[in-house]
Order: sequence, then structure tokens, then C-alpha cells
Amino acid sequence: MIGSELLRRAVRAGLIGGVAIVYLALVGMVEKFEARHLVSDWLNLGKLLLALPPLLAGYLATRPRVESGQLVRPARGPAVTAGLVSGVLTGGVAALWLAFVHLFPPGAVRNIFIAVSPKLLDIMTFGRGLAVGVVLWVVVGAGLGALGAAYRTLPERAGRPLSVGLATTLMLALLQRIIPPLLYNLNLDSTWLYSTSFGGLTPVGAVVVFVVATALPALWMVRGQAVRQRVTQLPPARRRVFDVSRLLLLAVVLAVVPRLLGSALSEVLGEIGVYLLMGLGLNIVVGYAGLLDLGYVAFFATGAYLTALFTGAHLVTSLGAVASPSFILHLDFYPAVPLVILLAAFVGLLIGAPVLRLRGDYLAIVTLGFGEIARVLLTSSWLQKFTGGPQGLRDITDAHIGGVGFRDPQPFYYLVLAFCALAVFVSVRLADSRVGRAWSAMREDELAAEAMGISTVKYKLLAFAMGAAVGCLSGTLFAVQIGSLTPDSFTILVSITALAIVVVGGMGSIRGVLVGTVLLIGLPGVLDEFEEYRLLVYGAALIVVMVLRPQGLIPNIRRMRELQEEEVAQDQWLKEEAPAVTVGGGGAS
Amino acid sequence: MSALLEIRGLVKRFGGLNAVDGVDLDVEAGEILSVIGPNGAGKTTLFNVTTGLYPPDGGSIVFDGHNLVGLKPNQVCSLGISRTFQTVRLFPNMTVLENAMVGQHCRTRSGVVGAVLRLPHTRAEEQSVRGRARDALSFFGSRLAGYREDQPAMALSYANRRRLEIARAMATAPKLILLDEPTAGMNPKETEEMISLIGKLREERGFTIVVIEHDMRLVKGVSDRVVALDYGRNIAEGTFEQVSTDVRVIEAYLGKGAVKAG
Repeated sequence: MIGSELLRRAVRAGLIGGVAIVYLALVGMVEKFEARHLVSDWLNLGKLLLALPPLLAGYLATRPRVESGQLVRPARGPAVTAGLVSGVLTGGVAALWLAFVHLFPPGAVRNIFIAVSPKLLDIMTFGRGLAVGVVLWVVVGAGLGALGAAYRTLPERAGRPLSVGLATTLMLALLQRIIPPLLYNLNLDSTWLYSTSFGGLTPVGAVVVFVVATALPALWMVRGQAVRQRVTQLPPARRRVFDVSRLLLLAVVLAVVPRLLGSALSEVLGEIGVYLLMGLGLNIVVGYAGLLDLGYVAFFATGAYLTALFTGAHLVTSLGAVASPSFILHLDFYPAVPLVILLAAFVGLLIGAPVLRLRGDYLAIVTLGFGEIARVLLTSSWLQKFTGGPQGLRDITDAHIGGVGFRDPQPFYYLVLAFCALAVFVSVRLADSRVGRAWSAMREDELAAEAMGISTVKYKLLAFAMGAAVGCLSGTLFAVQIGSLTPDSFTILVSITALAIVVVGGMGSIRGVLVGTVLLIGLPGVLDEFEEYRLLVYGAALIVVMVLRPQGLIPNIRRMRELQEEEVAQDQWLKEEAPAVTVGGGGAS
Repeated sequence: MSALLEIRGLVKRFGGLNAVDGVDLDVEAGEILSVIGPNGAGKTTLFNVTTGLYPPDGGSIVFDGHNLVGLKPNQVCSLGISRTFQTVRLFPNMTVLENAMVGQHCRTRSGVVGAVLRLPHTRAEEQSVRGRARDALSFFGSRLAGYREDQPAMALSYANRRRLEIARAMATAPKLILLDEPTAGMNPKETEEMISLIGKLREERGFTIVVIEHDMRLVKGVSDRVVALDYGRNIAEGTFEQVSTDVRVIEAYLGKGAVKAG
């Protein structure tokens, strides 16, 4: 039997999962994703999308919870039962919805919900008609829910490799447009791994990938400690060689990648780089200093427009003539970049100064306003002589090195790579320094930081300036890449995307920002079907991360999970010791 | 010779409430002074105003020849006053060592350029910051040393959090340390230890100390002098024996008539 609390949570998770399935079907994601095969014609993205809610429902229903200071994990039996319950409910809701739709004459529902096509209904009933479909939903839902719950009860040494294996297999399946040409360029045979007729992995390939990707981390968990110890015990000189060769290897791989991928995918890499820079800049403001900035697009725009004005561009006057902006320099790109950085840092100070006294929500609201002000200013007739107003700037001078222009995706990739390396370097160095500590302290407890001698005014301004200096580089690259700017490129969506990258990846974590950018920018770039649902996916990703892993995918403190448990244990300790608290004034007699 | 800290006629109002209502306080260099008084007597407010968290509504605060009125908390800290908080306020996600290193902030200078380029003097400074932070932690023996250094502050036990807060205050290299209820939430054994530590804090490190405390064993054990406040005013001053037998102090704690009844 399972406890009433567990049952209640299972029911809730199941119902939410059911609603999620209906929602995914109604917005058309299921049908759209059905076309993307993952493993031969056995599994496609649409089916995976339908399988996720019951799996997650089972997984979430059995979350360990804090009960009077103790972390309580449901035992395996009750957990699997709870998973079954939530899975049945998820499947049940989906089945009910299917039955409900079938009550109406064909096409009637489609008048309101255009995504409810006969094809969708065919997919949702697994091509077997309503009656079989309903039964299948409940049965398969129950199975998946139980699986999700059972996964929770696996010991760490089994669970961790399993999730790495599944994630790797899924990633390889999703990268079906990238890996085969890559292997082809390396003169390797890819037909055993990727199915030529469906696009996804072949069944054999999927199994091999899964087995390898599960076995390696499992092996690492057994042997990893010893290997790591041997590396740390190397003499300093040898260890330096090890570190340097690792870096060199990474550099070589990064340098070769665009040659192997071809220009269309290099363009995606370039876009990832531009957003990575933005994410790294915002990470300084939000992740390091804890200042929630929703108007980060202002710095992106500053970088882009200043680069255009410093290196040369044209605008279209209101009479339709092409003219030079009222202020224009014709600097080389490379001398212009430091100037842009300096000025952007100054703009950071300007935006930072009025919001110094604001915290949290209020800061977010005001910076949101600043982001919009930036866009409106770019459009305004007041600045039209400089920014070209709504038509923007065009013919921005291409950056060159020895006759190689950067408007091509492949050379552009190298420029982006250089800038990103610089930004990562600056971020890493800043984090582990007096400045970084001051920011952390301010983020954790502003009042205590001030009492310990940290000028919060100075370090808030510094965070805005440094964030702007790093983030403006993304604008600079953007201007170089496309060669023309309009205010439409600088909407609030840019700010939100950058923030989503930082939050999903893990605030304050550079590796997190990297992973966040690759997932949120790279995936829609590689898979067209994501593009249409980009914002929906961002929103869902934000919600899932906030609920499941508020510290982000790759948090900056590695031992976060152990810590949470330790904290619980601490609070328990406090409770036991509480009677020993000495209370007021006993000795005044 | 004038006192290290001279507070004259200090007033702080919150709305209609005079939290501190004309307090005078002299702290001589090298002494341990206890501030006692019932809840709401204005003790913590006195600390908060002195360290610049709130601006005073009247009166003067002079520390070591500097006027503190109108200064920000970080400026007060760099002049040489450090403090702990009644409710422990550490940086919970930073490690124990980092917490102590933050204390050295106002004694060091390196900025963004030094951090990014890791210039020689920045490296030397980081080294000395680490050394001084370790030195402050070592005051508590093995309790905050060794593997604990790399634990986040939130993983510490409650008593250790209090100790770390004191270490962080010590790391700012102050002349005067203000301790706000250093034994609140500690068990009797830990309180005993704290009494001897506060004594050592002066003997070994030469700090002048003002301590707010409710636990009279500690007040008796450490203080050279005791000042009692009630309703934001001074009501008694002197040695522990003098103050603890003062009629007004007993009345403040136990209510009017308590003396006659006793």
C-alpha cells in the first residue's frame, strides 16, 4: 500500500502529465515532431514527446521530500505503485480527450483547434482506432509511469550511467544532420549508425551507442577516482603538460569542426557563439553579482550599433537617399573593438547608476524598461541621423584579416571562437579573484557584504560595466556577420533568450552557460521543427529547470545535491539542540 | 586620553518609536565591554547605527578620531570596526575559507585588470589574503580548519557558523569588534568555550571588544565593564557586580516591584 501523501502527489503529477499531453497535441507539436525519426522507424520525436509526460509524472510523483527535518525517499514498492497511478492518470486524461474529440463529427474540432487533424488523431490512437487507442494509452501510460518511478529508486551507480547513456543516444539521434556528413568527411562509414532511409539512428547503431555511452560512465564511476588521483598526484611539471595538452586537444577539435561540418552548420555554430558571448556577459551580472537584468538587449544593441558607426556604414534617409550617418568613423575593425568595449562599459555604468538602490523584482522591472528604451531610441527620429531609424544601418564594413572577410560562416566561426575564448578567459579569472568574491558575497547577503567592507555601489556598477563589456561583443559580431542592422533585431526576446540560457545552464557557471547556449540556440538551429516552437520550448525548459533543478543543468557548485541533503541533516541537528538555547536575562537577580 | 569609540546622545527613531534615545557610550582601547538590557532595549540598533547600517537621527559617534555619522557600512569597516550579527549572516554558498577571505576585502586593492591578467602583485595579494584568512580560522583550532575550509558555510553546524562569523570579522583586521549575542543558540558547553575565546580574542589578538549578550555567565566571565540599556537609554554602568545588583537593571528585567518582592 502507498501512503495518502504519496497517492495525492501521484494523482496530481498524473493529471498534470495528462494536461501536458493534450496541450502538446493541441499546439501541433506532436504532429510536427512525428516526422523526425530518431531510431529507424521505430521511434520518432513525436512519440518521444508523448512518452515524456507519463515518464516525468512517475518520476516527479516519487520525489524525495523533507519531512520533519529528514529527507524521505519512497521505498521501491510504493514508488512503483505511485508511478503506475500517475501513469494511468496521464494516459487516462489523454484517452478521455481522444474520446471527447471523437464525439464530434470529423473536422468540427478542427474549426477551433486547427492542429487537431485526422493525422494527429491517427498518431494519438497509434493508427488502431479509438477503442484500441484508449486501452493502449492507459496501459502504456501505466508502464511508463512505473518506469519513471522505478528509475528514481535505482542506486546512483546504476542511475547515473543509465541517464548518460539515454541522453547520449538521444543527442546523437537528434544530431542526425550533423554527424553523418562529419563522418563522411572523415572518410568513415556511417551507414551502420544512421539509417539512410529514415534519417535517425539504425536499431543496431542505437543499441551500440547506448551500450557504450552507459558502460563508459559506469566504468568511470568505478575507476574514475583512481585516475583522478593519479592525475592530481603527478608532479607539477607533468601535470602542466597534461593540462596544456588537454587544452590543445580542445583547441584543435574546435578549429577543425567547421571544416567538417560545412557552411550551413558553421552558421549555426556562429549563432551559438554570438549567444554564448551574450550569456557569458549576462552571467557576470546575474550569475556572479546576482543582479537580475531583463534589459540585456541594450548592451547587445550598443555593441552592434557602435561597431557599425566606428567601422563605417550607410543609412537610408527619410527621403529614400543613401547617406552617411552624422557621426561615422572608418576605423579598422580591430582598433574599433576596444573602443566599443570601453563605451559599452560606460553605457553599463549609465544603466547601472539609477538602479543601484533597487533589488530583486524591482531591479528586473526597471531593467526591462531600459531594454525597451534602447529599442525605442534606435527607432526614434531624434537619433535617426545616427542610427537610421526604423530602416537601420546597412553596408557595415566587413572585418578582414589578410584579405579573409568574416561574412562567410566559416571564417566568422573563427572570429567568434576567438572572442568566446577571450570572454571565457575573463569570466574564469574574474570568478576566482577578489572582485569575484566581492560579487558572490553581495549576491549572497548584500547587507553582510557591506558590513564586511564591500562597497556595494562600486561592485554593482562594476558588474554592470563588466557585463556590458563582455556582452557588447555579441553585438559587435552580430553587426559584422549580417552587415546591416535594424531595430527589429533588438527586441525583448533577445534579453529573454539570454536569460533563459543563463538560468537553464546554471547561474554563475561558465560550463552551464555553454551547455545552455548549445541546447537553446543549437538545437533549434539544427532541427527545423524546434524553430517554430522555440519560445514554447524555452518556456517549458525554464519551468522544468526551475522545478527540478533550480541551480541549473550544470551548477557552479558541484556538490549541490549532497549539500541539499546535508542542510536537511543540519536542520535536524538544530531541532535536537534547540532546548539548549539560552534565553534572556536569567542572571539579573 | 580620549576613548577609542565615543558615542554621545545617540538617537535613532523608527516611526514613533525611539529605539535609541540619547545613549552615551565610551569604549576604551583594549577593554571588553558588555551591553545588556531586556529585549527591545535598543542594543542591536546601537550596533546598527554605529556600523552605518542606519543613519542616526541625532548625536555623535567618533571612532579613533573619525566622525562615523554619515559613513556607509563599508567605510566604517575600513576604519576598523567589524561586527557579527544576532541572526548569523554568512555567505551560505561560499566556502568557509572564502567567507574569511571576504573579510580581507577592505584591506586589499586589486581590481579587474589584476584579476584578469593575474599580475604578480595580485598573486602575492591573493596569497596573503589566503594566509590571513587561514590565520583567522586557526583561532578556532581545528573546528574551521582542514577539510572544513572547502565546505560551504551552509554545511556548518550552528555553533560553527557563529564561529565563522567571528573569524570573518577578525579577518577585516579591525581595532574594535562588535559581537551581537555570540552565544545565542549555543549549548552550555559551547558557551563556556566562547567565554574563553572572547578573552583570548583580546589577549592574543589585541582587539577591543563590545559584546551584546543575554547569557549572564558570559557577561560575568568576560566583561571589564557592563553598560545596561532600557528603552534606548543608559540605565546603569560599572562592573558586573555593580550593574547586576542595580535596582533599575533588576526592574528593567523583572518589572517594577520585583526588588521589594525579592
